[in-house]
Amino acid sequence: MEPKDQQAAPANMAGIIKRLEAEIALAEEPARFIAALEGGQEAPGDE
Amino acid sequence: MSDESLAGLAADIRARRISPVEAVERCLARIHKWDGRIRAFIRLDAEGALEAARSLEADASAGRWRGPLHGVPLGFKDLCLLRGLPTSCGTRTPDYFAGGEECTAARRLLDAGGISLGKLNMTELAMGAYGDNAHHGDVDNPWLAGHAAGGSSSGSGAGVAAGFFAGAVGSDTGGSIRLPAGCCGVVGLKPTYGRVSRAGAMVLSWSMDHLGPLAWTARDAALMLNVMAGSDPADATTSRRAVPDYTAGLDGGIKGVRIGLPGNYFFEGVDEEIAAGVRRAARELEGLGARVAEIRLPDPTAMMDVSMLITRAEASTVHARVFRERPQDLQPMVRIRLQMGTGISAYDYLQALRLRAKLTRAFVGEVFAKVDVLLTPVIPEPQPALADLKSATAEAFNTRAGRFSRLTRPFNGLGLPAISVPCGFTAAGLPLGFQAVARPFDESLLLKLAHTYQEAAGSHRRRPALD
Repeated sequence: MEPKDQQAAPANMAGIIKRLEAEIALAEEPARFIAALEGGQEAPGDE
Repeated sequence: MSDESLAGLAADIRARRISPVEAVERCLARIHKWDGRIRAFIRLDAEGALEAARSLEADASAGRWRGPLHGVPLGFKDLCLLRGLPTSCGTRTPDYFAGGEECTAARRLLDAGGISLGKLNMTELAMGAYGDNAHHGDVDNPWLAGHAAGGSSSGSGAGVAAGFFAGAVGSDTGGSIRLPAGCCGVVGLKPTYGRVSRAGAMVLSWSMDHLGPLAWTARDAALMLNVMAGSDPADATTSRRAVPDYTAGLDGGIKGVRIGLPGNYFFEGVDEEIAAGVRRAARELEGLGARVAEIRLPDPTAMMDVSMLITRAEASTVHARVFRERPQDLQPMVRIRLQMGTGISAYDYLQALRLRAKLTRAFVGEVFAKVDVLLTPVIPEPQPALADLKSATAEAFNTRAGRFSRLTRPFNGLGLPAISVPCGFTAAGLPLGFQAVARPFDESLLLKLAHTYQEAAGSHRRRPALD
């Protein structure tokens, strides 16, 4: 399969958001990205 | 120097078998002999390095040891601010990035006894996957002349491979540590987002930028990460988690570690020789006690697209001034990328950030319930000939470069730790590599896996001839 062109023009990038945004919960916010990392399973040696 | 790892050199210096001055002089001899071809340096600081080495030698004679890297020569990508040296960020403006505080990660390495040999070549503004640079020269692959060294931390990867220094700092926004590591046959680690401070390093995309080490071996990278990692008041995104000793568990083996080989996306459209190299490495890891199975991942395409959108938007705001006032100073492909970012709406940018959070939570929860490590290729095609790249139009070049980073960029969006490890050579003599990815903040497992593999496979003992 040919990889899709990753240098999409801004219009195509807007299309990405249109395609996916219906799946975003109302409560979602950017800061939850850090929470997703910090809330991951503790690695050995971490406190 | 060329036959010594960072760990070996540090031990030799500590045992007084070699002095810091001798270590620097060996590096300088190689640089003077070969950097005309490799072009790893933008600014070599021979005098500064020798002065630092003499000071460290005096300290060693007096029994004063500054840290675990005492006397070890290092190189820094030319987007790290260091006192006394200009920071071009790969542009034609020597002091493009000026006036801020020193790069925390670089300063920590120097405070631990490391010696700066100078500032390393990179693609302009860290935008580019191949290591080409119209202002400072295209970095050449030490293994096969005339071939890409990978970017954007091109001088970091090529310089380590060429034996110019024992370790280097690179930055990674879409693969810029892992791509040159993969192309040049060295180890490159992009840590978890928040593990290493980005303070004092040029911003390309504050949401996607990471700093990390490039070195010959996993043990060398662990030694560097021990020093670089940890919270920093100057970078609010750094994690407050304690930093483990990354060298402590290296020899523990990988028995029972669950490795997932992706059944979707990561092997699609990948060169057969590269894919075969990764699958061969997986079998070798299985022989060392790991459990390898195919895994179907949540489609990385969405995160790839979201990451690209965020990076484009942020880069265009950070570098708006040079784009607006001196566009003629920039290479055409850099102008195109900055132009694209200016057309992204605030609405799309913010939705992309919200999507990133959702996709990351889903990926971490689903994938790491099944496996401990993902194993993928680093690059989808062999290191291209520089002449082929130069003959392409800017648009064609950008399209090809975007594809070149399609296996690394999703993990910038996901913020996960990812390491590039050499795993043999193509028939043409170019390095092969695999990428291993783990849970957030589990760099220890990646380094242990890489160390176990390297010790068994031994491919890190082969060095480029340079002749």
